[in-house]
Amino acid sequence: MLNLTIKRLSQAFREGRLSPTEVCRSCLNRIKKTQHLNAYISVTEELALKQAQEAETRLSQGAPKGPLDGIPFAVKDNFCTKNIRTTCASRMLKDYIPPYSATVVQKLLDQGAVLMGKTNMDEFAMGSGSTDGFYGPVRNPWSYTAPYREQSSAAPDSDWVISGGSSGGSAAAVASLTSYLALGSDTGGSTRNPGALCGLVALKPTYGLLSRHGLIPLVNSMDVPGILTRSVSDTAIVLGILQDLDVQDSTTIPAPASLADLPVDFNVKNLCVGIPKEYHAPGLSEEVLAQWSHVADMFERSGARVEQVSLPHTQYSIVCYHVLCCAEVASNMARFDGLEYGHRSEVDSSTEAMYGSTRHEGFNDVVRGRILSGNYFLLKQNYHHYFVKAQKVRRLIANDFKVVFDSGVDVLLTPTTLTDASPYSDFTQEDNRTRSAQEDVFTQPVNVAGLPAVSMPTALSRQGLPIGLQLIGPALQDRKLLSVAQWIEQRVGFPSISDYVEFSESRTRREQISTVW
Amino acid sequence: MSAFSLCVVRKTIRASCVQLANTGLSVIRGVNLSCQQSTRVCSSRAHHSKVPQVPTWEPVSEDQLPTPAQVSGDLVDKLERLALVDFRTKQGLACLEKAVRFADQLHVVDTSGVEPMDSVLEDSVLHLRNDTVMEGDCAEELLRLSKNTVEEYFVAPPGNIPLPQAEERTKMLKHSEF
Amino acid sequence: MAASTVAASELIKSMNKQMSTLYPIASCVIRRISTTSARRHSQSPLTAQSDSQQLVGVVGLEIHAQINSNTKLFSGSPVRFSAPPNSLVSFFDASLPGTLPVLNRRCVEAAVMTGLALNCTINQKSLFDRKHYFYADLPAGYQITQQRRPVAVDGTLTYSLLGGKQRNQVVKKNVHIKQIQLEQDSGKSLHDDARSHTLIDLNRAGVGLMELVMEPDMSCGEEAAAAVRELQLILQALGTCQGNMSEGQMRVDANVSVRKPGEPLGVRTEVKNINSVRYLARAIDYEIQRQIDVLQRGGKVQNETRAFDSKSGETIPMRDKEGLQDYRFMPEPNLPPLIVYEDNASLPAGTDACQAVVVQEIRDRLPELPGVKRDRLVQTHGILPEHSFTLVNEDGLVEYFEAVLKATRKEPRKVIGWVTKELLGRLRERDMSVGQSPVAPLALAELLELQETGRISSSVAKQVFQEMWRSPGKTAPQIIQEQDLGLVSDMAQLHDICQKVVDAHPDEVDAVRNGNKKVLNKLMGLVQRETKGRADPVVVREILQEKTS
Repeated sequence: MLNLTIKRLSQAFREGRLSPTEVCRSCLNRIKKTQHLNAYISVTEELALKQAQEAETRLSQGAPKGPLDGIPFAVKDNFCTKNIRTTCASRMLKDYIPPYSATVVQKLLDQGAVLMGKTNMDEFAMGSGSTDGFYGPVRNPWSYTAPYREQSSAAPDSDWVISGGSSGGSAAAVASLTSYLALGSDTGGSTRNPGALCGLVALKPTYGLLSRHGLIPLVNSMDVPGILTRSVSDTAIVLGILQDLDVQDSTTIPAPASLADLPVDFNVKNLCVGIPKEYHAPGLSEEVLAQWSHVADMFERSGARVEQVSLPHTQYSIVCYHVLCCAEVASNMARFDGLEYGHRSEVDSSTEAMYGSTRHEGFNDVVRGRILSGNYFLLKQNYHHYFVKAQKVRRLIANDFKVVFDSGVDVLLTPTTLTDASPYSDFTQEDNRTRSAQEDVFTQPVNVAGLPAVSMPTALSRQGLPIGLQLIGPALQDRKLLSVAQWIEQRVGFPSISDYVEFSESRTRREQISTVW
Repeated sequence: MSAFSLCVVRKTIRASCVQLANTGLSVIRGVNLSCQQSTRVCSSRAHHSKVPQVPTWEPVSEDQLPTPAQVSGDLVDKLERLALVDFRTKQGLACLEKAVRFADQLHVVDTSGVEPMDSVLEDSVLHLRNDTVMEGDCAEELLRLSKNTVEEYFVAPPGNIPLPQAEERTKMLKHSEF
Repeated sequence: MAASTVAASELIKSMNKQMSTLYPIASCVIRRISTTSARRHSQSPLTAQSDSQQLVGVVGLEIHAQINSNTKLFSGSPVRFSAPPNSLVSFFDASLPGTLPVLNRRCVEAAVMTGLALNCTINQKSLFDRKHYFYADLPAGYQITQQRRPVAVDGTLTYSLLGGKQRNQVVKKNVHIKQIQLEQDSGKSLHDDARSHTLIDLNRAGVGLMELVMEPDMSCGEEAAAAVRELQLILQALGTCQGNMSEGQMRVDANVSVRKPGEPLGVRTEVKNINSVRYLARAIDYEIQRQIDVLQRGGKVQNETRAFDSKSGETIPMRDKEGLQDYRFMPEPNLPPLIVYEDNASLPAGTDACQAVVVQEIRDRLPELPGVKRDRLVQTHGILPEHSFTLVNEDGLVEYFEAVLKATRKEPRKVIGWVTKELLGRLRERDMSVGQSPVAPLALAELLELQETGRISSSVAKQVFQEMWRSPGKTAPQIIQEQDLGLVSDMAQLHDICQKVVDAHPDEVDAVRNGNKKVLNKLMGLVQRETKGRADPVVVREILQEKTS
């Protein structure tokens, strides 16, 4: 039952074949069994059981709130959840309990969805591996499946692969079947990257479609809540519930009408798929390249028009993203001073000293480094040279997409990541900023331009690890994008993780303990 | 190693990899030069002509970039004061210099006549709210979040005392090490 | 030297006295503040002779006016002057992570209205920015303001001074308004030195402010004070700001420098911590003089921030952070551009009416501004411009005056003196407002009617007023009756009294008969003494003349 889609599960609930409480308990057990993945920072066991019970009551009365009633979900720990610890995987907020919930979280709760817990991430969403958080790195569940284990001779604990980031915990939670859907955040690929590495459907909606009220920001002008599920139709259900104007977020835009299900039989004969040539970046693995070609080929054989196009400024998008990201980070992190909430240093000789040591103690090196760089770019003498310059490049990047979409291209097909998931030991050879610059290469231009994009798992690599491809669409065409994604999903037959022996039931105590960092 | 110099390394590897492509070797990532999967042969998939089979990026060479900015120790100190974030000076300097050098690649792009873009919503109109009281009156809830309060006030140490000099700060922060 | 100094200080005293009557709030100027050298005395204030050229003051102002609205600029928490600490604070005001700003339409309307009243150009599109600095009363570590493109620019404030030889001529001056921008107010810090900590109250954090920048078109404290006073009156008339400086609803910082006329601007200092219009004038004048002194000693003026100390009347340097400060302005990413529409015709189709701020609608709603009011009073009532100036300058005085006029037949030109001298003089002396006057308009009107109809004489009227002031609640008729102040109307009685006086002073009668008319006044005085001033002097004179002829 754990590997069902939301759609199927909801049906099973309504038909009485399954009950929310038994599913909830199953998920909670699964969470306990997969603790070594370190996907969760907080597990809300009591609350989940209570919510499941309430859902069950409603279902027994024939009055479910909707398609998500009774469905377990997880939330990345940078979304505020009322009265539930929200840490952003940082010492700065390790004891912070928000007095309100993020709009998107509240919408899910209002639909009767059951909250399993808050998931692990890179500290303050800075990173692309979910390796740099206060609570330690997240392990990719596919590290423990037979195909991967067969490749590797080393012990499971030493060569597990990363889940991607920064929403790695959310991805690992859904991929390991502990929940049916998870909210991530996507600023430069933070939902799509772990989605691809963990074999999930990962949607980054159009900027402004989903409310950011309650999402602790990284880059306000690029952040969006992201949706992680195991099937495209599930994503469409969730998108339909979450998209809406929110008066509490002045950057939300009206959602396009249409809440109908996605077309089961999408006709690609009228579709024009663009292949941006700049997306073959250095470092792209041969396998990902092969998948990219394979799917492009599939479209063409089915009658779609497939064209190579150009987004000439792609290469510089990552640089533009880096400058704007650091600058906004520098600004957004200014509020963490220990005075009103969060960690507070014992130093109290002066306000400035207290602020300085609170921030030193509360933030990791990655966060502090970005704050410094951001402040550098915002200095009066540098502002035009770096920040404004980056803003100009931003327009060029957004324009590149506009030109291509205006010329008749409906969607763009690109890789999501350079390779499949890397072993943790390899990944940590380079510093966070360098890795982010490499890993985000295909995903952040989409954030810079504010467009919707979805990552689809298409195949397992020779190592037995998921490979994902990305579809990018014009603004507000999220549903069309999902329709195309579903078309791919129907034809690639990506396996479920439950097809493989996932976790050895006889894991030794020692192995379990060694997961503590 | 910064990403752009990585491009340079990759370019050299790329050339040799083209020869090895048919044997299905993965493109090297990072400075680790040992190829994985060297024994597996890649099945000859028909590489679709629309998908470029080789990387298309133009590496950016050092001489295309402006002269590296001099980030003096004083400037790092000023930044640390403005940001109230300490980065143990030497490391801070190195990290900052790398970040700035990476950002310098922006100057390779011709942006003449291009207007800066604040946000993708630059053409939308700001929503206006009615002047009706909807919030507030939650002092208790707010004060509960803070570590140091007195009656109904938040408490701060005495203000307007300048941060001590860099050396002093380092000493003070040593106590903050966990 | 000594004589002229004495003469100068006499002149100063009398000028001050006049001004404090006519120009109460901004009683300005010509103080001798710790001048070291006697050679420095001025014909015109605040200039100094250096060689043959004079250094003059150059003053610009930065004014922060709290917007009169129910809720704050970006959050729905209430705006109130006093409330329990931190009870007017929302999650956004406390900078809880994940909260976002939502703009209050009323604040936009207030800024547009103020801009229109000051003849500004209203920017159809304006933008918000973040200004970064750390301070305990700034929870987010930055303030949201409008640095690049504010809502209104390029206006003019016309203000008036009493000038001329007798300081009774209304002189109009202009100051250029550079811009009006919307921004957030900060919270309040209460320093507790005893316990070595600071208490933070965020009730004020996030309240909407209009920052008005006035160009350095003014030259001394008096001008600045007059300009600020006029602005206060305008804002109060508009209802966009209550303008009370002592309550912090309006805060003024002065940018002061000196130069020789025609030369480029000198180095300026910023003077802060000024809590009233009166202190504003003093602070500026002190600073101008201080800078002149520095330059004359051969020194250089530092570009610094100084605080005004009202106790000593001096400005004191504040800790200088200028070199270290960089506000790192950045566009506010959570707020798309603010659009205001010129008129209903330019509204995009389907726009919700409560989403749109329409400039023309606001222009149509503008109330009568002080300048217009003054002119109207002169026109309608035939009073002098300087009287009109005084009326409008004092809160509630116009209403008082017009209420009196309604209830008496006396001409406005004759009533005005009562209001601007008798009433206002007493209010000033006791630092009271018009609303606190113990004599209500109708009571004064009643008194004036009695005088107008001949029941009492002018001097008695003044006496009665004094009594009414001292014993609030007692009406004029009551007092007149109690103290028997009514003009003696019994002609027989008058005749008798006159006869008595004539009989008692035969020498004086002879003198009058012999042509010395002046002695008649003495006799009149004696009659008045007998009647306790209640005799109509005209009638008494007639009777005495008759009796001494």
